[in-house]
Amino acid sequence: MLSPEKCIGCRTCEIVCSFNKIKAFNPKNARVSVLMYDEAAISVPMMCMQCEDPSCMKVCPTGAIAKRADGMVAIEEKRCIGCKLCVSACPLGNITFSPTEKKVVKCDLCNGEPKCAEFCPSGAIEFKEAAPSTIRRKKVIAERFKELFGEVSE
Amino acid sequence: MKVKFFAHIRDCAGVREDTVQFSGTVGELLLYLSNKYGNTFRGAVLAGNQVSDRVIILVNGRNIVHLDGVDTVLDEEDEVSIFPVVAGG
Amino acid sequence: MIGWTGCILRVNLSEGTIKKEALARSDARLYLGGRGLGTKIMMDEVDPRVDPLSPENKLIFMTGPLTGTMAASPGRYMVIAKAPLTGTIGCANSGGHFGPELKFAGYDGIIFEGKADQPVYLWIDDDKVELRPAGHLWGKNVFETTDKLLEETREDARVACIGPAGEKGVLFATVMNDKNRAAGRTGMGAVMGAKNLKAVVVRGSKSVEVADPEKFLEVCTEARRKLKAHPVTGEGLPTYGTGVLVNILNQMGALPTRNWRDGGIFEHAENISGEALVEKYLIRNKGCFGCSIGCGRLTKIPEGKFKSFGEGPEYEAEWSYGAACGVGDLAAICQANFICNELGLDPITMGATIACAMEMYEKGILSKEEVGRELNFGDAEAIVELTRMTGMRDGFGDQLALGSYRLAEKWGHSELSMSVKKQEMPAYDARGVQGMGLSYATSNRGGCHVRGYMTSVEVLGIPEKLDPLVTDEKAGWLKIFQDLTAVFDSAGICLFTSFALGLPDLAGMLRAAVGWGCTDEEILRIGERIWNLERLFNIRAGFTKADDTLPPRLLEEPLPSGPARGKVNQLEVMLKEYYVVRGWNEDGVPTEEKMAELSLR
Repeated sequence: MLSPEKCIGCRTCEIVCSFNKIKAFNPKNARVSVLMYDEAAISVPMMCMQCEDPSCMKVCPTGAIAKRADGMVAIEEKRCIGCKLCVSACPLGNITFSPTEKKVVKCDLCNGEPKCAEFCPSGAIEFKEAAPSTIRRKKVIAERFKELFGEVSE
Repeated sequence: MKVKFFAHIRDCAGVREDTVQFSGTVGELLLYLSNKYGNTFRGAVLAGNQVSDRVIILVNGRNIVHLDGVDTVLDEEDEVSIFPVVAGG
Repeated sequence: MIGWTGCILRVNLSEGTIKKEALARSDARLYLGGRGLGTKIMMDEVDPRVDPLSPENKLIFMTGPLTGTMAASPGRYMVIAKAPLTGTIGCANSGGHFGPELKFAGYDGIIFEGKADQPVYLWIDDDKVELRPAGHLWGKNVFETTDKLLEETREDARVACIGPAGEKGVLFATVMNDKNRAAGRTGMGAVMGAKNLKAVVVRGSKSVEVADPEKFLEVCTEARRKLKAHPVTGEGLPTYGTGVLVNILNQMGALPTRNWRDGGIFEHAENISGEALVEKYLIRNKGCFGCSIGCGRLTKIPEGKFKSFGEGPEYEAEWSYGAACGVGDLAAICQANFICNELGLDPITMGATIACAMEMYEKGILSKEEVGRELNFGDAEAIVELTRMTGMRDGFGDQLALGSYRLAEKWGHSELSMSVKKQEMPAYDARGVQGMGLSYATSNRGGCHVRGYMTSVEVLGIPEKLDPLVTDEKAGWLKIFQDLTAVFDSAGICLFTSFALGLPDLAGMLRAAVGWGCTDEEILRIGERIWNLERLFNIRAGFTKADDTLPPRLLEEPLPSGPARGKVNQLEVMLKEYYVVRGWNEDGVPTEEKMAELSLR
């Protein structure tokens, strides 16, 4: 669950994410990124929102992306050909091609123990089991981002 | 005597300062104030019967550590300040 | 290399050349990075007697081995040069995101030499590094410059730059990065301006690696747990920011009031405190790169004549513009602080210099004609207006731009400057906190609190509780603080972590990051080596024992009220002891044995 109003813009999530994935510190390899708006005095952590109706899944030509029963949108690496269509399709910009790892990457919730949530110092990123109320909140926030950034990538 | 509260000790006490009719030691004052303000305040300033190591207590600007600690005897004219352990720079 | 990137950029501005050099491993082993390595390079390459604003001075940006990792508050880098304000080694620390980005681009640091013919900026995009013209940016403030540079490079880049103050040679101009973070003290921005270097812009996509990832994760997780659990770093700083100190110093009678003239109790302290800032103007906390503390303040004055928006103020600015100038209007203090960020000024020296001018005005030394306005203590509009005039060097601001010492000296009253080695002291009255006096007097960059923060033991009781009114044990503790601080500054992590973390935590992070098998003591020894090297630089620059002193006011005028009533600072007693503890001779010069012991010979 994301609470941008609590975010202090420290990008701890980015460094711990990259460290968990590549055993080195590199925000460009993080599956989460923090966008900062100086004038509005707010920063927003952004990552795959595990959409209910994922554009990335729809556009994938090899069926490498699937919505799992537990709600996670997962990339099956073996079937991924690295065409990056999903990168273009994600309205939130939350799938990226990692030049270091030479593959398409997105948040995979760290097998149920997301490091970003564990280390976030302000409680802006929390990982909660998908209770109905949190799913509702998540959607509200995801919709808001869609409104904000959606038209640019569509 | 005047007792002043700072930072989140204010939230625990619910006031910034208080004037109390009291005579005794600092330790007794803390018990008195804890009874007056309740458990949140007690939890912030006391650890069991000891002064919590998360607070700084000044009597007329002197840390009680450099006076007689909780046994420091208070006078009606004294001013007591209670801070959480804080820092900056 | 692991921890370090292993590469340093050398940019000769006179010739327009850029070289990539390997980091000297032996130096990294002895001096770590940041402040230590920067000072070592200065000592090797620059004559300490050089004019700080001449092309012969060098300007060094340097990160540490923990910068850009997940260590505790790992967003720091340092700017090092001979300082124009003090004439000592100059060195200022800053957070934000610039330092880590420099490492992600593949560089531990940058050495700038010479002077460009025309204004330039350096653009680093990973391996591609170029000097670009900056004529169109000259004269622009920090925010305009940063926005423009992000527009013409890449939006995900990071900018360190100077404002008009640095361009115009204000002796306490800062280097600003990420708009609101400052390498604040000793005038590093003036050195940058004198080199015609407007900005450094960097974008990196590489990785910072550590020697033992598993171990590093473990020690950093534990360090972050300690920071969360500690009342200072887990509660006080996040909730109230550094300004939480205003009330406590005031209650202890050690908040210097009206240019230190009126003792240590300011009647409006409550109005300028961290508590008041939270209540009235705070919008949100802000954290530097990877920081779990988040003491930064996003602040907005919504209305009134000081309507404004920005970051800060910190405790020091709340004091320098507040108690030191006798101003109890927090809105004015905030706006003055924002102007410092905008124009690139150090708010400690700025506020303290205005305070000095106020006393000179009230004493009749400065007249209304000279200042261009009335200048009594407590004038909220004056602190805002004079800050802007100083940054632009307009009118009387042109004189304030030299700092309080040169200002007061010009009028024959240098005793009214509350400075050490010509740099203004910060917000702890050394008559009420004795050890801070020794800290100011011996600081290698002049009046300063972050070279040996004795307030920690004398006021806050961290890690031990020393009586602030006596001199006992102060010299020994100060040495430990000074040496340990030098390690924090050179490792690339924030000094504030030291409230919750000690040498074993820092050493643990360093060992896991760089793969050393050394003891904690050897790591503290690096700090002692750095301290002595800085001292040697200053000695060669012409400083002597006579400069290890305090303004006469602190040595001769007793505090009028509060628990330290009747006290002056007992510097002489502590200083003698300090030289012995340091292993220096009675003139304060490191002995041959000490230098050999520290591999400085």
